[in-house]
Amino acid sequence: MMSDESLLALVLALPFAGSLVVGFLPSNRHNLEAWLAGAIALAGLAIALALYPAVADGKAIRVAVEWLPTLGLDFTLRMDGFAWLFTVLVTGIGLLVVLYARYYMSPDDPVARFFAFLLGFMGAMLGIVLSGNLIQLVFFWELTSLSSFLLIGYWHHTAKARDGARMALTVTASGGLCLFVGVVIVGHIVGSYDLDRVLESGAAIRSHALYVPALVLILLGALTKSAQFPFHFWLPQAMAAPTPVSAYLHSATMVKAGVFLMVRLWPALGYTEAWFWIVGTAGLCTFVLGAYLAMFQQDLKGLLAYSTISHLGLITLLIGLDSPTGIVAAIFHMMNHATFKASLFMAAGIIDHETGTRDIRRLSGLLRLMPVTAGLAILAAASMAGVPLLNGFLSKEMFFAEAVAHHSSSAFDRVLPYLAALAAMFSVTYSLRFIHGAFFGPPPADLPRQPPPLPSWMAAPVALLVSACVLVGMFPAVTAGPFLDSAARGVLGAHIPTYSLAVWHGFNVPLLMSVVAMAGGALLYLALQRYLSSGIEGSPLLRRLDSQRIFDRIMIALTLRAGRIGLETAGTRRLQPQLRLILGVACAAALWPLLQLGMAAGPLAPSALDPALTLVWVVGAACAIAAAYQAKYHRFAALILTGGAGLVVCVTFAWLSAPDLALTQLLVEIVTTVLLLLGLRWLPKREEMVEADRHRTPRVLLRRAADLAIATVVGIGVAAIAYAVMTRPAPDSRASFFVERAYTEGGGTNVVNVILVDFRGFDTLGEIAVLGVVALTVYALLRRFRPAPDSIVSPEQQVRQNARAAAAGPRQPADALADSLLVPALVMRLLFPVIGMVAVYLFLRGHDLPGGGFVAGLTMSVAFILQYMAGGTRWVEARLIILPVRWIGVGLLLAALTGLGAWAFGYPFLTSHASHPTLPVVGKVPLASAILFDLGVFVLVVGATVLILIALAHQSIRTHRPTKPEPAPDHA
Amino acid sequence: MTAQLLLVAPLLAPLLGAALTALLWRRPAVQRPISLAATVLLLGAAVGLLAHTASHGTLVGAMGAWPAPFGIVLVVDVFSAIMLVITGVMAVAVALYAMGPGAAERDRAGFHPLFQGLLLGVAGAFATGDLFNLYVWFEVMLIASFGLLVLDRTREQIDGGLRYVLLNLVGTTFFLLAVGLLLGLTGTLNMADLARLAPDVDNQGALAAAAMLLLVAFGAKAAVFPLFNWLPAAYHTASMPVAAIFAALLTKVGVYAIIRVFTLIFAHDAAFFGPILAVVAMATMVTGVFGAAAHYDVRRILSFHIISQIGYMLVGVALMTPLAIAGSILYVIHHIVVKANLFLIAGAIRQAGGSFALARLGGLWVTRPLLGLLFLVPALSLAGMPPLSGFWGKLAVVRASLEAQSWVLAAVALAVGVLTLFSMIKIWNEAFWKAAPAGPPPAPPTRSQRLATFTPIVALAAITVTIGLWTEPFLALSFQAADGLLDRQAYIAAVLGPEAAR
Repeated sequence: MMSDESLLALVLALPFAGSLVVGFLPSNRHNLEAWLAGAIALAGLAIALALYPAVADGKAIRVAVEWLPTLGLDFTLRMDGFAWLFTVLVTGIGLLVVLYARYYMSPDDPVARFFAFLLGFMGAMLGIVLSGNLIQLVFFWELTSLSSFLLIGYWHHTAKARDGARMALTVTASGGLCLFVGVVIVGHIVGSYDLDRVLESGAAIRSHALYVPALVLILLGALTKSAQFPFHFWLPQAMAAPTPVSAYLHSATMVKAGVFLMVRLWPALGYTEAWFWIVGTAGLCTFVLGAYLAMFQQDLKGLLAYSTISHLGLITLLIGLDSPTGIVAAIFHMMNHATFKASLFMAAGIIDHETGTRDIRRLSGLLRLMPVTAGLAILAAASMAGVPLLNGFLSKEMFFAEAVAHHSSSAFDRVLPYLAALAAMFSVTYSLRFIHGAFFGPPPADLPRQPPPLPSWMAAPVALLVSACVLVGMFPAVTAGPFLDSAARGVLGAHIPTYSLAVWHGFNVPLLMSVVAMAGGALLYLALQRYLSSGIEGSPLLRRLDSQRIFDRIMIALTLRAGRIGLETAGTRRLQPQLRLILGVACAAALWPLLQLGMAAGPLAPSALDPALTLVWVVGAACAIAAAYQAKYHRFAALILTGGAGLVVCVTFAWLSAPDLALTQLLVEIVTTVLLLLGLRWLPKREEMVEADRHRTPRVLLRRAADLAIATVVGIGVAAIAYAVMTRPAPDSRASFFVERAYTEGGGTNVVNVILVDFRGFDTLGEIAVLGVVALTVYALLRRFRPAPDSIVSPEQQVRQNARAAAAGPRQPADALADSLLVPALVMRLLFPVIGMVAVYLFLRGHDLPGGGFVAGLTMSVAFILQYMAGGTRWVEARLIILPVRWIGVGLLLAALTGLGAWAFGYPFLTSHASHPTLPVVGKVPLASAILFDLGVFVLVVGATVLILIALAHQSIRTHRPTKPEPAPDHA
Repeated sequence: MTAQLLLVAPLLAPLLGAALTALLWRRPAVQRPISLAATVLLLGAAVGLLAHTASHGTLVGAMGAWPAPFGIVLVVDVFSAIMLVITGVMAVAVALYAMGPGAAERDRAGFHPLFQGLLLGVAGAFATGDLFNLYVWFEVMLIASFGLLVLDRTREQIDGGLRYVLLNLVGTTFFLLAVGLLLGLTGTLNMADLARLAPDVDNQGALAAAAMLLLVAFGAKAAVFPLFNWLPAAYHTASMPVAAIFAALLTKVGVYAIIRVFTLIFAHDAAFFGPILAVVAMATMVTGVFGAAAHYDVRRILSFHIISQIGYMLVGVALMTPLAIAGSILYVIHHIVVKANLFLIAGAIRQAGGSFALARLGGLWVTRPLLGLLFLVPALSLAGMPPLSGFWGKLAVVRASLEAQSWVLAAVALAVGVLTLFSMIKIWNEAFWKAAPAGPPPAPPTRSQRLATFTPIVALAAITVTIGLWTEPFLALSFQAADGLLDRQAYIAAVLGPEAAR
């Protein structure tokens, strides 16, 4: 025999496990899935019944497993009488619904999913009911919203189902989020999320400053879930779900989660003005409004949906009255409502299933066609209306008794009995309408289909539920008494109020109210006949106020509209505003702390200006500004001017005694300018844009002035911060460390190179990766690039040259080219080995003097560039086989393996070993293992540069032979 | 020594991967296993590092045996190790996924070396303890991602790629500028050394200005408000494996850098930066989610949600409490898995439905129920629904905001959660529930392509569910990482020796 604790865990685990199993069964095994689901529900019910003795006298079963100890969360299952009652409702009605659905669902529907979701819901709902921890409760709470979503949208081919599902999920999940925050606040106040701890700390919670926000948030969760005004609108939309779902989730169980939670937390949160007003008002409004709207529904399920809203309002109102007897009445009504409403939904489903419609305007006289269903539905509806000897009557009497009792001397208290009687009257009316509209009157005329014989088992669940209604209605003390008592003990503890479960309490005010409601409801039904038979959808007063439409509008405004507006203001798809934005933000970001924290120049005086250097800088600045100015109108000029600015930087490096940097900068300038020039050839022409700009309209001028202003502000800002930093004494710098150790430990006298390949060789490794990736990207981009149509035409000079050549004699254009570049080409070819030697020289001396792998690589690539320029692509590639992509790979590999090589000797990654061996002929050479690393750099730089060169050079081959798809000899 | 090898391995694996795949440029059949092996190696090393740092503390390795602050050090603490592990997971998933439909074309365009290059940059950024070195890895990442972005060379890719690279280059320029300023102010580039010296710099205004410039640079990388424009301009154009790895890692490197720098170097000025970060976080959440709502293309919707979620990850560094930072870290872990998976699934949706446009999709719940379930897992997790990872991330972030009395932050976080849910339901309703539009379905992929597509999707969904149901280890790890981030002296001591710490 299992212990109570493990049985409790089993109750929760079974539906989830069943859901997984059923979900993966083939979807056409109708019976198997239904039986499995039914068996699980039955098992749950049996276990729950077996557990009753353990919870009967106000005790609770608890299981706690460590869940998130970091946040102080345990996974706690806790079953007291109240939770037990809900467990029985969830599993019991679940069992009946599964049985009903077995016959209700069409064999064409994928029922595996249906039963899987249904079981998933059952598990989630049990999770809420059995949670002994508030976070865990929220966890399962959202799960029920989710399974409700999937079940409402089960017939997803209709837009109604999709929209209804989405609305239900949005409303209940939003409420769930509010609940979530509320629970977090309560946990913050109490110091624990444990339900028992929270229930004990009622006084502390109520006196805390955060009580009202926490209460409001938790109530938002509860009220949305239980479809209370003003959040009631999702429930009628949820009726697009298959009827078993409506019966189960949207009347008997899930919508009760909200009222369940309010009852559950009432000992901790109740007994306050705020509770009374919020819960009471919401309940009263919903009670009256739901009943009013229910009278005017033309759809049987719509009527039942609004009636459910109304009854939930009644329960909420009872809870809001803030008295123990109210709580007992609320619990009792939850039980009763679950039984009669579920059976009514099932009856409505049978009518729909048999006749093909649920429209009261088309239905009539079904009593003769389906007497069993009619009889059961009439009994259930009578219970809903509060007819004596049925369970609905008993809880309604308790409610009336509560309504007339004294609570506070407010207007609320005075109008409450009248409004209660009014709403009760409405409920009689809509119950009558349900019965009379569907079952009485002439035989139905225009049914979509004639009722086939009812599957005998389909009515069985209805019969069971209705017999429960009758039994409880006639013998309440025997049938429901003990369970209501244990449930009340679970909530209220030992101090349960005296209440009496009896059919007859003598002549008193509640009975009078009942009589008035009965009579008034019947009269009202007669009075409304004309309006109702006119076939108008909706109620006379509130038809215009469609909360669904309001919700839709809000959601559209919140999502679509706000999104569009947001995108138009904060986002832009154009590049220039985006660049302005980022520069502007950077400016503001840097300026803000300077304004806040202050900034001043340091104490150091700036060194005197050297006139020569100043002149150089003026030239450089002019070049830079002119380049920016010309960038749009004359790309070639802009490029050359940029080169000029670069050269000035180069001169500055040399001037400030940084020959390494100067050398590198020079070579970088040369190579990039040449490559850019090669690329320039293939850019599309932009004559028309430039022309438009040449007309200096005020807009153009304004834009350019704004850009100039931004550039000026950013430039001055950067200069100012730099000035402030540089006029302070240099901090304890690391420079001396590098200078001291460059030779002794790095094996080189050129500190810059030693830094590059040794001290900060790791950076260099990253940088060569950048270079390699850049080259690969350029190559990949231009691999099958087709130049713009307007740049395919040969340049003017070439055309002229070819024309001259053609005029001179029958020669190939290539010969003409060779002729016109004869001398320079020869020189360039001869230079190849020379430049190669220079590169090797620069490479070898790099560790001690300006040079190194990077510079040598650039030098070497200059040699290649010259060859391409001199001989043309075809000529070079006929003679030289260059596989630059492999060079890149080899370079990376070499650098990485050199770094890794240190491991072989037990040193960390990239550790260099320096020695100065004497080689024959060459003499003493500095040989650090870093030179291998540097070799990798060299190889990669050559490979990357040449790869870009080739990618550009091959364009010319392609455009001259545009007919062939893949003409370039692919040496890469 | 083994630990030291372990430290470099997450960088060496993609570095060697890039070198070898570049060498084998013309042989995709060999490139693929190499690429996959490199990612597996990366993952393995990262897991080893996580195990090591979680039990033995921060691991420091001096590159070239030059001690900090002179040489470059790799510093892997628990936070870095977590990020490396998640990088490894994503790398393996995407390497597998990239063998699905379209692989031949991608491989010819050089996918593998560029992919490895991207991983190198990301792993380097997560592992380094040197600010300039971080800049180098940013560059590696930027260039490699640009190459990946324009892999198909379509017009819209080049258009998006240009915006991407230009805006990011401007961002990184500010990074370089800030590094220069910090070097001028403190004379060091080592992050631990910077953290040690920063509080005593007499020019706090300039220091804060440098910090703000770093925030701009990292923020541009992380696509925070108002610097997010490059992301929606570019992400939706990328081919699906590329978009997935971008969604997983690129913005998160920016987030990582913000968290690292502002908890380590500028923590003494948290009172100044906290409110700024909080405002940025909220604005980012809101902009992203509204941007997503205005779109009807799966990729664009998902792209905007990346932006939105970045806001959640900044909450930690805005509030600077252990819970908030742990929440942010948990959120990063959860989000990377979920968001990458959503992009992978978007690719699968395209394979099944033939389009990314919601108007042209439909009926997938009938034809591809498994895909539907696999979509629901990350989609609902993104919206913070239980029993999935997002629920716990949200719990931690919201609880931290409430405990820090940042009511507005908590409210915004939750409202954005609702709108995210709404947005995911939009995709679900349109692509899965709505009836299928007329027209022939696209050709089904081959069996091996399906395997390549769905293995990573299922694995990532499993991770999401695992985090959701068995949260404790992930949360505990996030807390350990957060404690490590808040204990600056321990970091300084680990890098510079105990006598440097105060």
